Amino acid sequence: MTEPAALFAHSRVRPGRRDHPARRHRPGRQHAHRGFRWMLAPATLFVLVMIGFPVLDTLWLSHFSFHFGSAAHPIGLGNYATLLHDRQFWNSLEITFLLYVLALALQLVSGLYLALLLNRARRLRRLLRTLLVSPFVMPGVVVGMMFLVIFDPTIGLANWLLSLFGIPPALWLASPTWVIPTVALIDTWQWAPFVALILLAGLQSLPSDVYEAAAIDGASGFSLLRRITLPLLAPSLLVAAILRSVDLLRFFDVIYVTTEGGPGNASDTLNIYAFRQGFVFLNIGYASALMVALTAVVIVVVIALTRLRRITAW
Amino acid sequence: MRARSVLATLAAALIPCALALSSAAGTARAQSFDWQKYKGKTISFLNENNPWWNELRPFVPQFEKLTGIRVQVVTFQEQQMRQRLVTILQSKSAEVDTFMSLTSLEGALYAHAGWYAALGPLMKGNSAPGYDLADFSSALIKGETYGGKLIGIPLNIEGPIIYYRTDVFRKCGVAPPKTLASLTAAAAKTKACEPHMVPWVTRGLAPALPYTFSNVLHNFGADYFNAAGKPNLCAPAAVSAIAWYADMLKKYGPPGAVNYSFVQIADLYGQGRAAMAFESSNEFTPIMDAPGRSADTGLMLLPPGPGGSKPTVIGWGLSMSAFSREKPATWYFIQWATTKAMESKLALRGIAPPRASVASSPAYKAWLDQLPVRQRWQQLIAEMAASGTSEVGPPIDRQPQARQIIGDAIDHVLLGQATAKAAACRADKSIEAMLADR
Repeated sequence: MTEPAALFAHSRVRPGRRDHPARRHRPGRQHAHRGFRWMLAPATLFVLVMIGFPVLDTLWLSHFSFHFGSAAHPIGLGNYATLLHDRQFWNSLEITFLLYVLALALQLVSGLYLALLLNRARRLRRLLRTLLVSPFVMPGVVVGMMFLVIFDPTIGLANWLLSLFGIPPALWLASPTWVIPTVALIDTWQWAPFVALILLAGLQSLPSDVYEAAAIDGASGFSLLRRITLPLLAPSLLVAAILRSVDLLRFFDVIYVTTEGGPGNASDTLNIYAFRQGFVFLNIGYASALMVALTAVVIVVVIALTRLRRITAW
Repeated sequence: MRARSVLATLAAALIPCALALSSAAGTARAQSFDWQKYKGKTISFLNENNPWWNELRPFVPQFEKLTGIRVQVVTFQEQQMRQRLVTILQSKSAEVDTFMSLTSLEGALYAHAGWYAALGPLMKGNSAPGYDLADFSSALIKGETYGGKLIGIPLNIEGPIIYYRTDVFRKCGVAPPKTLASLTAAAAKTKACEPHMVPWVTRGLAPALPYTFSNVLHNFGADYFNAAGKPNLCAPAAVSAIAWYADMLKKYGPPGAVNYSFVQIADLYGQGRAAMAFESSNEFTPIMDAPGRSADTGLMLLPPGPGGSKPTVIGWGLSMSAFSREKPATWYFIQWATTKAMESKLALRGIAPPRASVASSPAYKAWLDQLPVRQRWQQLIAEMAASGTSEVGPPIDRQPQARQIIGDAIDHVLLGQATAKAAACRADKSIEAMLADR
């Protein structure tokens, strides 16, 4: 059995980022670099066209009353005014955040646990890493279809497992109460390994001298994790949180395949609601306003997490 | 007398000659129709994973050989096909030449947007002899006509019917229900007698359920709109219909019925785990292909309710994009797929024929005679065609949104989140708000 103290111990020391050769001041090269700035043009153009244009177009469309098949009429901020009074928009925003918080918490906790275990593994580390990669390289649609069968209330594996322990069958994705926890569980199955790999890289870069000093002071087990590992790992945890936040706030594929926003509107996240407005109801103007709102939410959350990361950087 | 006799003799000799000549001329015309006129062209066909397409697919290479026209096929599930199609049509792209279209759902919207090509002018002088548009059910042709223009050719005829297990009914002492009230009693009796079986299953998935619910609504004597053209779900008869539909699924449906559409229903009934399934007649072939079902399945229309019996009947059509750059070649494909010869082949594979001549052909009758359940199926389709309505949702062009509102209302009742009255009145308000937002 692994000793808790050993589980949280780390080995290799890497150079601090301030010492990195690339950061050293080299005035002689600056002039030469300036001469090759035009080489950035293709990448800049690509970013402007492929990212800038759709964003600006969505922003533009959000100011129109525009249904597919009909002419567009400018309505200024009309769609945003509708959005503020749309009960389903606020419901979707609430569902989006509920799913986000629940899934992110599950993924950070289980990802950290996996990373700590993996950090201790010596012989099978490469194999385990490969196995960890496999869930998140699977397309979301495939994952959705797989879990649709697993969580089927009548023939699903999940209820069969519950029955082995004498627990009555659950409705899972068909229950308005349980659908969000179930979707969060599916996403955690797929993405906790990704979080684990980020945290594993973080764990391997932690300085060993701190652990040695803590060991001399008699720290061990959970206190080592709480007082040393977690604070030192905070930047990596925040990187994982930022990456997962962007995905979770615009989570779509698994929900679309498993529930389409149901039962009722219980899993109608903002992205699903916007999709339905746009591609089922063909209300492109309003769907664009919803997407702008979602983008704003993602940007605010990412900025907040990025600032937090700067504060916790060491 | 003699002159009359000569005339009679001449007539007797000439009539068969004239008939023979006429027949020969017809054959010559048929042979002279140039199927290779558009050889070398390529057309694209967007369709959904539907029994009609699944049965037609093996014959497509024959069309390519006959005409020299290459057909590029893209198949999606129904909703995804529609989502893909609207983006293509909105951008006026020629990416799709022909597509399957459910006019009862999207016809008014697509016609209003000018997305359908008018088929009438293309048919003139470009149709094989004997194609005969008058052979199609006039109701179906009417459903494919907007603003006096024919925008599609009917592919099938379908509507929701009840598939029930005759062996289970016999064992439980249940007679095929004659009214909606006795249908509820039959479900209750089946539940008591066969507790491991799902007594009743129908659609619970919000956007899909108006197809089955509409039949219930009409049999309760209600309509989506009242005489003044206002949403009418809050009326007592409509509230009763919503309560009945939701209660049946809640008390006698499978766990998770709220996510059920035709795929799950056909699977559940096909596996022998449901006593009654209220689902499209179009699922007849997949259900009959399930082991044992052709021997133990009985069929009936939804029994009459307080408003009598008003079955739902709709049909898919094959339409052409207004932005197609290969309209004549595309018309060749549409007419080939809907000829008497092709529809006869499809009918023998369980696709209910929209052509009268195919429905009454000896080959089709012989196929029906092979199994009593097939005869019953055709009989129900004929009844639907004679007395059914294609109103699956309010008569407005924003059908998908209206259907979602209706589906959500019923699901809220099914999930116990609202009473039938509250859900129905809220749905009326949502539909009114949608109509006001134009």
